[in-house]
Amino acid sequence: MRRSALFLLFWLAGSLALAFTVIPLVELVAEPGVAGVVRAAQLPDVRSAIGLSLGAAAVTAAIATAIGVPLAWVLAGRRFPGKGLVEAVIDLPLTVPHTVAGIALLLAFGREGVLGAPAAQWFGLRFWGTFAGIVVAMLFVSLPYLVNAARIGFEEGVDPHLVKVARTLGARPGRVFVRIALPLAWRGIMAGITLTFARAISEFAAVAMLAYYPMTAPIRIYEMFLRFGLGDSVGAAVLFLVIVLVLFVVLRHFAFGRAGQRGFGR
Amino acid sequence: MNSDGLRLTGVALRLGAFALADVSLAADRGEVLVLLGPNGAGKSVLLETVAGFHRPLRGRVEIGVRDVTRLVPEARRVAYVLQNFALFPHLSVAQNVAFGAMHGTGNRASRHGARARRVASLIERFGLGAHADRRPAALSGGEKQRVALARALATDPELFLFDEPFSALDALTRDALRDELASFLREAKLPALYVTHDHAEAQALADRVAIVDGGRIVQLGAAAKVFAAPRNARAARLLGVENVLDGVVRAHAAGSAIEIGAPPAFFVPLDAGRAPIGSKVAVSLRASDLALGPPGIAAMAGEVAFDATVRHVAQQGPLTRLRCDAGVAIVAWATSAQLRALAIAPETRIGMRCPQDAFHLLEG
Repeated sequence: MRRSALFLLFWLAGSLALAFTVIPLVELVAEPGVAGVVRAAQLPDVRSAIGLSLGAAAVTAAIATAIGVPLAWVLAGRRFPGKGLVEAVIDLPLTVPHTVAGIALLLAFGREGVLGAPAAQWFGLRFWGTFAGIVVAMLFVSLPYLVNAARIGFEEGVDPHLVKVARTLGARPGRVFVRIALPLAWRGIMAGITLTFARAISEFAAVAMLAYYPMTAPIRIYEMFLRFGLGDSVGAAVLFLVIVLVLFVVLRHFAFGRAGQRGFGR
Repeated sequence: MNSDGLRLTGVALRLGAFALADVSLAADRGEVLVLLGPNGAGKSVLLETVAGFHRPLRGRVEIGVRDVTRLVPEARRVAYVLQNFALFPHLSVAQNVAFGAMHGTGNRASRHGARARRVASLIERFGLGAHADRRPAALSGGEKQRVALARALATDPELFLFDEPFSALDALTRDALRDELASFLREAKLPALYVTHDHAEAQALADRVAIVDGGRIVQLGAAAKVFAAPRNARAARLLGVENVLDGVVRAHAAGSAIEIGAPPAFFVPLDAGRAPIGSKVAVSLRASDLALGPPGIAAMAGEVAFDATVRHVAQQGPLTRLRCDAGVAIVAWATSAQLRALAIAPETRIGMRCPQDAFHLLEG
């Protein structure tokens, strides 16, 4: 009897959580109908904004993987002075309001910024109102997801004994990383890439502060909402949502597969 | 020691609050040196230091003629076999073995050819041909061990290191694999350091034993000698000695004897060394040295005999463990035949006798 009551309570809580997420999205999808979505898809501005968002998020995920996975490996396997501080810095973007992050990025990567000025001078790379700016803003807010997921992947997937054995078998640390650690942690890394991509593509505030133009999909939808109201922006929103959801489902399938289907039993 | 073995000289190390203090030991070619100690004693840290994962503060590690103290693990040519064999789960048996053969010298093509031949020969030698394409998860405990050994040999090692490879296995598998490993080590003729906290495993495999406790080697010697004569009570417990008995040194016609237990006590003629008459000492006695008989059993020449009351009887495998009271708590083993012949049950009286030299005086 007690177990049934507990089950009911948990079921109710879970249903509320799911409903909270699903109902607004269902409402959104139902609003414009297929015709509204098709109409939005025919707008060149909407198509280019969605393409830009997808491209920038993909580049962001790639950069995050390139710089975040090695860091995650170090954090998972090494003890060093200041490790706690490094971990806190990695997580910092999760706690900083994204408008604040945008201003910080503007100061650092703007024309006169400590990173923006030399990048422009030496490499001709500008961030204010450019694709590179969009990527920088997306990277800032999404990098923690990559590092943390990959780190968990390394911690849970790579038995330290395997690393030690590989070293004594003659493999240098780089080879151990490539041949042993990466294959065993790939699910965690894929989960990190999925989350990073999802977080990057959905970013609005930080991107808007650093690179309002060219417009990414969230900014284009916001702009349509301001200029034409809810009616016209909903079609673009649903189109963007569907594309992102399909991508998310595909990536999630690779990242998680059938893992997580084991239960506690009754 | 010849120049083909392992030699540690005055190795000291600090890892946080843990320290290894001036460890010196050697293992000759073909010799198995077992590091026996409780959890947290520093056995694995010592092994990892030999493997190259910790750099000593002081001291020297030599393998054969090479001083490897400052070498990284991948340059030491040590075969490291860990708990549950640590096979790479995402690689097949052949790929696991090939991983060990991957890092030779020579040009790429000749290396590749030599590696393939070496892997094939090792897979054949260890009877793994039928499993070459399987992943480790599909192997039995014995097959895993053979893959681990084949992989380790693929590096052409100069030293074997084992860190409790059987600790995660069931008892039946463990016994079978231990015998297989003992045969392998006899044939391999390489020095081996073997870490365990299991005295039975140590006894089965060791040529020599080093007892490690608190980051120090507290006793080192030939296995038979160490097992027969533990240095102190803690070492005796680690070596699986069931009886560590408190006694008092008494004057005796032969020089001294140890009075053991509350009255009616029994006396063991034993050289008490520098312990003065009347001082408290401890002696070790293996339960396997005790012969059982009826109460009042007579001692033969060179033996000690005494009576005891059985307090607790517990079947353990093929034998029965008896916890008895002989004025001091004492453990003995009985066969089923002895149980029947002596009608052993709780509160029955039995006689015990054993050679005098089965008692060993422990350091305080």
